[in-house]
Formats: sequence, C-alpha cells, structure tokens
Amino acid sequence: MPFEAPDLSITLDIDVLIGAYPDRDGAPVSMQAAMHAAGVATAAVASLRAALFDVQSGNDEALAAAGPDVLPIGAVDLRDPIGAERELDRLVSHGVRAVRLFPEEQHIEPDFPSVRAIAKRATALGLPVLTGGDVRRFWRPFSGLDAVVVFLDTHFYHLGDFLIVARDEPGFHTSTRLLNSPDALETVAAQAGAGRLVFGSRIPYAEPMVPRLRLARSGLVPQDIAAVAGGNARRLLGLAT
Amino acid sequence: MIIDVHGHWGPWFFTMEVADLSANLAVMDRYGIDLAIVSGTEAICYDAPAGNRALAAALEQTDRLYGYVSVNPRSLADAERDLRELLATPRFVGAKLHTDYSGSPIASPQTHDALAMLADLDCPVLVHTWGTTVLDLAQACADLPRLRAIAGHAAADGWRHAVEAARSCDRLYLEPSWSHAPAGRFAGIVSGVDDRQLLFGTDATLIDPASAMGAVLGAGVTGETAQRLAWRNATDLFGLPDHDAGNRPHRGYNT
Repeated sequence: MPFEAPDLSITLDIDVLIGAYPDRDGAPVSMQAAMHAAGVATAAVASLRAALFDVQSGNDEALAAAGPDVLPIGAVDLRDPIGAERELDRLVSHGVRAVRLFPEEQHIEPDFPSVRAIAKRATALGLPVLTGGDVRRFWRPFSGLDAVVVFLDTHFYHLGDFLIVARDEPGFHTSTRLLNSPDALETVAAQAGAGRLVFGSRIPYAEPMVPRLRLARSGLVPQDIAAVAGGNARRLLGLAT
Repeated sequence: MIIDVHGHWGPWFFTMEVADLSANLAVMDRYGIDLAIVSGTEAICYDAPAGNRALAAALEQTDRLYGYVSVNPRSLADAERDLRELLATPRFVGAKLHTDYSGSPIASPQTHDALAMLADLDCPVLVHTWGTTVLDLAQACADLPRLRAIAGHAAADGWRHAVEAARSCDRLYLEPSWSHAPAGRFAGIVSGVDDRQLLFGTDATLIDPASAMGAVLGAGVTGETAQRLAWRNATDLFGLPDHDAGNRPHRGYNT
C-alpha cells in the first residue's frame, strides 16, 4: 500500500481526554480504541466534565478510570480560582501527579489573576501543569516560578516564541501535537534539548497517527525518540523511567 | 507511488529552515513521496512573476518536482503572461491561487476572472479554501463548465462543506492538508466523496507530510481508493506520465 503506518510505541501520551464537548460532535472512536490503534500504551487522562461543568465529580471520574493504561490528571476551573486552590489540595491528597488547565474552554485570558495564582499554588505543591492556550501569551503567568509546564497547544507557527521563553525557563516543555513542520522537533532538540518534547495527541478528539508518524520519521536519534514517546513525560510526572 | 499535489518550494517566514530544494527532497524521502507539485513561496506570498521564475529555475534541478504557476488575481495580465510562458514547458502542470495572500476571495470579481482564464486554458488550479469558502469554489465550477479545481486543505475546519461542494461537481477535487487533525475528518471526507475526486496533498514544506499522511492512515484508506488518492487521480488530472508503469523519476539532482 502507498501509505504505511510507523512502527513506534508511545509509552505515555500526555494529552488524552475523557468525556465530551457539548458543542462538538462526539469522538468518532472511544479513548481505548484510539489508544490501541495508535500504539499508545499509557495515557495521562483528564476529564472534560471537570473542565466544562463540575470539577470534583469530573476529577473523580478521571480517578476512577485509573489503571495500567490510564494515569489520571486533575483539572481545575480557572473561573473559580478559590475553588481551584481547594481542588489542588484535594488532588494532591489523592496522589494525582499533574494538573491540567483548560483556558480556552473556560474563556480565560493569560493575565487573569486566576492563572498566576494557580501556577504558583501548583508549583508550590510540586505539581507539573499541563496547559492549553497560545504559548505566546500563556508563558507569562508561569514565568519566574521554577514551574514545570507542558504547553499542549504549541503550534509550529509559534515555535520561535516557545524557544525564546524556554531559554530562561528550564521547566518549560511542549507537546509535540502541533509541531508538525518539517523541522520543528529537530529544532527544539537542537536549541533546547529533546528533553523538552513530550508526546501529546489529544485522543480521542484529534488523530494520534499524526504526531506518532511525525516522531517516528523525525531526525531525532533513537534514544531521543523513545524519550519523547513517553520517557520525558514519565520523568515529569515522577514515574519510573 | 505517491504524488503530493500541494507542495511549496522556497523559504517561509516562520522558525524553520526549509528554503533549499534539498529540504523538499528530504521531506519527500521521509514519507516515500515520489513526486510533488509545488508553488514558489515568493510567488504566493509576495511577487508572483518573480516567484514563478525562481521556481522555474529550481525545477530544472530535479525530475521529482512539477510546478504550479502562481496567479495573483489582482494582476491578471502578469498571470496570463506567466501561464502562457510556463505552461508551455513540461515542468509546469497547473496553477495555484491563494486567496488570502492575494486578498482575493473566491467570490471576488477578480478571482472569478482568474478562474475563467484558467478554465479557458484548461489548466487545473489549486485554490486555498477554508471554512465555507469551498462553497464559493463549487459555485465557480458550476459557473465555468471547463474549470477543474482542487480545494486546498479541503476547507480545513469546513470539511463538511467541502464534501457538499465536491458532491455538487465532479470537477472539484479535495486534498487533506492541514496542520490540525481532528479525529474522523478525513474518514468523513472519504466516505462522503467519490474517490475519483480525492488527491493527496501535504502543504510541505510548510507542513510536514505527517499531518496529511497521518490523517490518511487514521482513516484506514485501503485498496483502490488508496491508489486513486495516492497517485492515480493526480496522474489523470495533471496529465502526468504513468509513473506506476516503471516510469519513475530518478531520485537525485539533474546535472
């Protein structure tokens, strides 16, 4: 056949969702089916119920899904920063290893006080932050905190801005999901180190074969490909690598 | 055999180093793409006549790239001169019309005139489409019976409109390139459109072919449809040599 799938296992995908967007069509396949088809062994899973409706019951949904192939990720609602601080404490008590922010879904701008407050609180609690939003703007509330952050929406159009801020922020990382120019992964590896790259797909709402194929065919050395495919994420989340 | 019908040659203004012809060939080799039809980035972004001639010089260096003559609808006299000159060579096989860079929506009078000229020349044209603009391209196909058009990006987030457009006219083709890849998008296109209207396009070297190819793989396209998508439809549309019959281009540079 003219089109051939890559032979690459993804050991940990940092960007996977459970639940639904009420303003979109449903996912065409289940999370598990998409993971299987894309060779994703383990997924860092956050709840859309938590992001869009009710934080506590949504996070409980993610916690209940925990298993060999699902690592639950907490979510907070930046529209309620006081409640978000409480939820961070509760998530830590449940052993959650990272918190995910949904600024676009919650209509949050990077200069809203809630973002900086949650960035400080999460960092103080030792929680890495996985955040959506335009990296050219959302870098700022995390700056100067020694925060560990994975920017989930870094588009290759904005790669230069990520690289500029990453120079001064060793904890800044980027998902590979939208780094699909011919040399984006290689440029990050050369300028900031392959350790800053974390595989993310947004299963089941985006096609995971795209970042998987891009990584498999990249010019990175094999050990760096393996790190991006899961090792880096495991390190950030404090898992055995 | 894979033919990419949506390629570019030349530099981009983002943080990327893809200006050299070797970048095109390396990216094609990365994914097993045999041939690409490319427009010059200078031609679509800034100066069509100068960019078209720069591309013509680049095409002399390889047999693996064919060219699109970029058309700026705001300068139809230049476009007509470029088309008559460059389409007469075997290396240029179609036209490219980017509505955004030229500030010329598909429904604008100047773009209608450009498309009419291309229809008269029997020249296939790749048109940038996004959202609902693909419906304007379908209307142009209805208005211009000889027009053969490729909806670049299959309207991106407007892919359902692209399906509707392609179903309205068998001279309208779709290619999947887009830097985003919503799950199920290309499967929806394949299930909704006659497979004789599907083409493989990547937008390389702006976008890595992984984006389009990953979408194709995710859709599970196989069999005759995969062959049509990969190369057969492009060969027919552009009148290319039947490379699958052992007539493949050599992979190095021309000397």
